[in-house]
Amino acid sequence: MLLTVRNLVMAYDGRTVLDGVNFDLEEGELKIVMGPSGCGKSTLLRCLNRLATPTGGQILFQGEDILRPDTDVRALRQRIGFVFQNFALYRHLTALENVTLALRRLRRLPVAEANARARHELSRMDMLAHQDKYPAQLSGGQKQRVAIARALAMDPAVLYFDEPTSALDPLMAREVVNMLHQLRRDKVSILCVTHDLYLARAAGARVLFLDQGKILAEDEPERLFDSHADPRIRAFFRQELEQQRPEPLPI
Amino acid sequence: MDFPQIIELLGKGVGYTIGVTVACSVTGMVIGVAIAMLHRLDWKPLNRVLGAFVYVFRALPVLVLLFIVFFGLPNLGLRVPPVVSMMLSLGVIAGAYLSEVFRGALDSIDPNEIMAAEAMGLSRLQILLFIEMPQMLRFSVPGMVNEFTTVLKYSPFAYTVGIPDVMKEAMALSAATLRGVEIYLAVGLIYFAIYKLLVTFIWALEKRYRVPGLTEH
Repeated sequence: MLLTVRNLVMAYDGRTVLDGVNFDLEEGELKIVMGPSGCGKSTLLRCLNRLATPTGGQILFQGEDILRPDTDVRALRQRIGFVFQNFALYRHLTALENVTLALRRLRRLPVAEANARARHELSRMDMLAHQDKYPAQLSGGQKQRVAIARALAMDPAVLYFDEPTSALDPLMAREVVNMLHQLRRDKVSILCVTHDLYLARAAGARVLFLDQGKILAEDEPERLFDSHADPRIRAFFRQELEQQRPEPLPI
Repeated sequence: MDFPQIIELLGKGVGYTIGVTVACSVTGMVIGVAIAMLHRLDWKPLNRVLGAFVYVFRALPVLVLLFIVFFGLPNLGLRVPPVVSMMLSLGVIAGAYLSEVFRGALDSIDPNEIMAAEAMGLSRLQILLFIEMPQMLRFSVPGMVNEFTTVLKYSPFAYTVGIPDVMKEAMALSAATLRGVEIYLAVGLIYFAIYKLLVTFIWALEKRYRVPGLTEH
């Protein structure tokens, strides 16, 4: 098992954001985390790479308890790729430099080797032609691809995606689904937080439903969306479906 | 004595004026960057000390601090050379002002970039050096031009501690020839030329390191 989360609790400002979360992620598996806004999805991801420190529970990553006080947090983070909602590319660096930064400063690779490795990842994301462009010169989808290339360059054991389609238009959101399929074919382990029903359906992965800090269900998307026994879950997906249904074109 | 001759005679002091301006600007840069970066570490006791330093040195007149350093410190057994006295007065005060410019620039950096760098495993120092500082310097160009210009305009105080800059040459020449109007007009032209050179150099640097979409508004 790549990742095991047991009874994870996170509370701050007198509010319990995660309230006994349990789930597993296997090597090469893609899993989706869904739930209403403010249910603790992003906090969960941040706890998993120690950007936030949980107040209780256990996280075993590659068999190692990462909540122990003596955990080398920086070394842990180097084994985890994180793709942020708004891409978070470094605006003063080109696409290539964004990807090489960690390779040079953390892996201490020589420039030529770091560049070769970065170009390989950019090419995998079909972004090699844009390697010398700055983030401001790229579209949302292109930024997303560079962010994924940057995360993959460190050869992480897992990729965490935080709302990968929320800043993209529907066409680009489809590209993300294609990328997820490609990464899955390459046996990359992925945990993806999203509220995008299309992404959850098209990714063809098991979905964890998180509400008020608890995992209420884990199931195949179709069963979860259409016929789950819990009326709260059915109500959430019905409401989401209504909101995400495209506006009819004017006649 | 005609106007070109006056310019030529004053020219002997130009090297000192430029030297003092550059030395004080570099001192200001080093102090300003150091204060802004140390502030970023968010260690409250240190921040209080830095805040007090900036508060005090922004309030002190350059000439008062210069005299304290050059004429006051020898009483304590510390003899400070004239150029170093300028650096410890004008340079330090410029540093206090520049630290505020740099702090504002650091606040303009997208916090998501910092979080992405942390998530990547970069250390705080690496984030300062490779993410924050390159953007901070680019955001600070207008403020730096402003402060370096102020340093240039305060550089004539150098004559008070015996540095033979343009101002000192002008005073000596004026006393000898009694042609103050032409001489100080020439001094003004020389300072304007140095200002133009300084600004052109900084904007050329800015253009060289400009990043599309980063500083344009």
